[in-house]
Order: sequence, then C-alpha cells, then structure tokens
Amino acid sequence: MGNTVAVLMRKAPYGSVYTAEGFRSIMGIGVFEMDINVLFVDDGVYALTKGQNPAGLDMKPLGEAFPMLPDFGVTKFYVHDQSLSERGLTPDDLVMDVEIVDDAGAARVLESSGIVLPF
Amino acid sequence: MKIGILVLEGPYQHQAADTAYHFVQAALARGHEISGIFLYTDGVNNANGYIKPPGERNIAERFSELAAQGIDVVACTACARFRGFRRDMVAENVRLAGLGALADYLRGADSFVTFGD
Repeated sequence: MGNTVAVLMRKAPYGSVYTAEGFRSIMGIGVFEMDINVLFVDDGVYALTKGQNPAGLDMKPLGEAFPMLPDFGVTKFYVHDQSLSERGLTPDDLVMDVEIVDDAGAARVLESSGIVLPF
Repeated sequence: MKIGILVLEGPYQHQAADTAYHFVQAALARGHEISGIFLYTDGVNNANGYIKPPGERNIAERFSELAAQGIDVVACTACARFRGFRRDMVAENVRLAGLGALADYLRGADSFVTFGD
C-alpha cells in the first residue's frame, strides 16, 4: 500500500492537544522518510492562520511551527477551500503557501494516501 | 491482513480505548494480524498498571493481555512523561517507545485504524 500517510488536521489548534500532536507526529514519522500529505479541514485550518498568540494560554504558536516542516522534507500541504471560506478566511491569511483543494481535491488527497491519521 | 492501531484517548473518559480493544479482538478472531498498537497522547493512560476499577472492566489489563498474546503494544515515551508516568507504572508487557514505533506500524500495516475523538 506504499508509504504515503495523510495527516488530517480537523480541530482548532489550542482547544485540545490534537493539532499540536498531529504536528509532532509529522516530525516524528517524517524523519523515517515516509511520504506525508498534510490536509487541513474544518477548524484545523486555524492552525495555519497568521498572527496566532496563545501566550495567554501558556502555549506556543503552532502557526510558526508548520512552515518549518519543508526543511524536514514534508512539503505537501493542502487546505480545504470551503473550510476557509466558512470561517471568513482566505489563503492570504495563512502562514505558508499551500495547495487549496475543494471537496473532490481533498478526497483525492485522502484516496491517494495509503493511510490516514486523523487528528 | 496486517492491521496497525493508534489510540488517542485515555481510559473510562472516552469510548476510543474500549472500541480499539473490541476491534482488535474481532480482527484477531477473523484471522487478521495486528502489526502493533500505539498508545499516543492521553492514550498512554490506558497502560497505567495501577488502574484498579472496582467492579468494572480493567482497560489497562486488556492492553496488557493483548501484549501478552504477542501483540506489540507501545505507549509513547514522551506522552508518558508529560502525564507523570514512571517506568514501574507501565502495565505488564506494554513497552515505552517513541514515534519510531508508530512509523514501523504504519509501514508494516496493510490497513491502519485510529481510535480517538
């Protein structure tokens, strides 16, 4: 089934550990040279927005973490367009260049990945 | 079929760990092989050997028994540290390891199933 893993980011970045741990899992399995697609849907798109400041929560901004991933060989980032627009966001609000995908595009990312890890 | 398992929620608070256990039992009964069970984030709490629920199913014992059957059951080392685990607290037959174990399960599985929220 190949080595391609889709890491699916579904949740807001600070309400639970899911998005932060999704990020750590990408770092963790990426170093084992797995081919990784990262797909942001629903509240998961907030993880990539500019200007995050969770200092009041004693947490570190995840928006600064994701743009480091290409240095670790993780380069395929997809963001669901409707999830952005429903939240009043556009690609300009994001911290990095991503491929914007519609429903069918998101489905293709998942279908082309042998394994999906939902966070 | 070789199936890998990821558990992202802890015991008793959430259905995920119970469903993972029943899924593994059903898969084994049908002749499938489990490439490994990775207990991640709060999922590591399912491997707390001090769990003693009066009159209720013992979720830690369940994972311990699966491991005793020869299934690799791993709790994430870093997650365990974040949750105050000491080595002597880890349920019998379960081992602590890093995300490399998860990567191995991902690679070794024909199918991979996540149980979480």
